Amino acid sequence: MNEPQLSYEQARAELASVVERLEAGGGSLEESLALWERGEQLADICQQWLDGARARLDAARAAREDA
Amino acid sequence: MTQPETPKSTPEEPWPVRVVSQKIGSWVSKLGWVWVDGQVAQISRRPGASTVFLTLRDPSADLSLTVTTNRDVLDIGAPELDEGARVVLHAKPEFYAARGTLSLRADEIRQVGLGELLARLEKLKKLLAAEGLFARERKRRPPFLPGRIGLITGRSSAAERDVLTNARRRWPAVEFRVVNVAVQGPSAVPQMVDALKVLDGDDTIDVIIIARGGGSVEDLLPFSDEALCRAVFDCRTPVVSAIGHETDIPLLDYVADVRASTPTDAAKRIVPDLAEETRLIGLARQRLGRAVTGLLDREQHRLDAVRSRPVLARPQVMIEQRATEVVALRDRAARCLDHKLAAAAGDLRHTLARLRALSPAATLERGYAIVQRADGHVVRSPADVAKGDELRVRLAAGDLSAAVTDSPG
Repeated sequence: MNEPQLSYEQARAELASVVERLEAGGGSLEESLALWERGEQLADICQQWLDGARARLDAARAAREDA
Repeated sequence: MTQPETPKSTPEEPWPVRVVSQKIGSWVSKLGWVWVDGQVAQISRRPGASTVFLTLRDPSADLSLTVTTNRDVLDIGAPELDEGARVVLHAKPEFYAARGTLSLRADEIRQVGLGELLARLEKLKKLLAAEGLFARERKRRPPFLPGRIGLITGRSSAAERDVLTNARRRWPAVEFRVVNVAVQGPSAVPQMVDALKVLDGDDTIDVIIIARGGGSVEDLLPFSDEALCRAVFDCRTPVVSAIGHETDIPLLDYVADVRASTPTDAAKRIVPDLAEETRLIGLARQRLGRAVTGLLDREQHRLDAVRSRPVLARPQVMIEQRATEVVALRDRAARCLDHKLAAAAGDLRHTLARLRALSPAATLERGYAIVQRADGHVVRSPADVAKGDELRVRLAAGDLSAAVTDSPG
C-alpha cells in the first residue's frame, strides 16, 4: 500500500467524492484519467483494508480452533 | 507514695523483699473497688474449700486476671457460673505477698444474662452505626477473581470444608491461605483479630472470609465483638462474613464488606463459576465474530457498489465517448470538405463552359480563321499588314503560315 496512513474510512470517503466528480463530468480528459486512476487506487486501498481485516479474523479463528 | 521512713534503695542498701512486697501491696490496693466486665475462662470450685478461683478474661483481647471470691458470693450472684459465661463483678485488686501474685478479690459477681448481652449488642450496634462502621459507601468490593483468598475458620470445621469445596468446584485454580482459629469461647476474638492482621498484611491476599457454621446465640457472640468489628473495619482487604445463623445477625455481618448467608454462599460470592464464565466468553466471542464479519460484509458490499458504478467499472467509456466525438468531428470535417469540393467542381465546370462558350474554337470550326502578324497582333484590316509580311493563320484543326502578296496599302 503506497499510502498506509490512509484509513479505510478516509479512502472510502475520498473514493466516493472521486466517483461523484467523475460522474458529474466536465473535466478535461487528462483530469478525468487522473481522477479515474485515483479512484482505482483508493478502491484498492479499501479492498486491502477489508482483505487484511478478514485475514486477521480468519487467523484468530484458526488459532482458536488449533488451541 | 513511699513511706517517709524508708530510705531510697541503692546497690549498697537494697530493700529487702518484704519491703518491696509491702510497697507493691500498698500501690495495688490504691486502685480500690472497681466493677469489672469479663468472660470466665476457667473456674475451679474445690470441694470443701470456701475460696473459688476464676480466670477472668477480656472478651476482645488476650488478657486475663485471676479472681478469688467466696463460694457464698458465687452462689448468690451466679450459682450456675460456667466457663465462657460473661460476668460483671465488683472487686478490689489484692497483692498476695506470700507468692507475689496479683488477683482480684470479688465481693459481688453477677452473671450477665442473654437478654442483657443482646441489649448490650444493640447498644454497640447503634454506636458502631453512628461511627459509620456500617456505611455502605465504606464497603469495598472484592475483586471479580481474587488471586488468593484468606480464610479464617475453625480447624476441620464444616464451614472450612464448605468454603474450600464450593470455591474449588466453581474455580479449580482458586488459592487459599487458611488460618484456623477458635470460633467460640474466650480466645475466639483475640485469635480472629490476630488472624485478620496476618492476612491483611499478606499482599497476595485479595479477600478475607470469616466463616463459621450456625450455632447458638451465645456461640456466635464473638462475631458481634466490638474489637473484631473494628479490626474488620480497619482491614485494607475486603472482608466477607459467612456466619451461618438463623435469626440474630452478628454485628460482623454489618461491618463486613460482603455478607454471605452461609460458608457455601461465601464461596459463590467470592469466586466466579468457571463453566459459566467460559460459556459467557464463548457467547461474547460468537457475537464479536458475527459483528465484525457483518461489518466487513457491509463494507465489502459498499465498496463493490462503488466499484461497479460505470465511471469506475467501465473507464473505457470515458475514452470511447471522446473517440466517438473525434470520429463525429472528423466526419463533419470530411463532409464539409466534400461539400466544398463539389461546389468548387461545379463552379469549375460552369466557368469552363463559360470559357468554352467564349472561345473562338467553335467559330474556327465553322471555317473561320484568325490571322495574326508575327508579333501576335490579330489582323483586322488590310492596313494592318504590308506586302511581304509573314502571317500566322489559326484554323480549327491547326496553324499554317502565309505571306502577304498584295496589299492595298
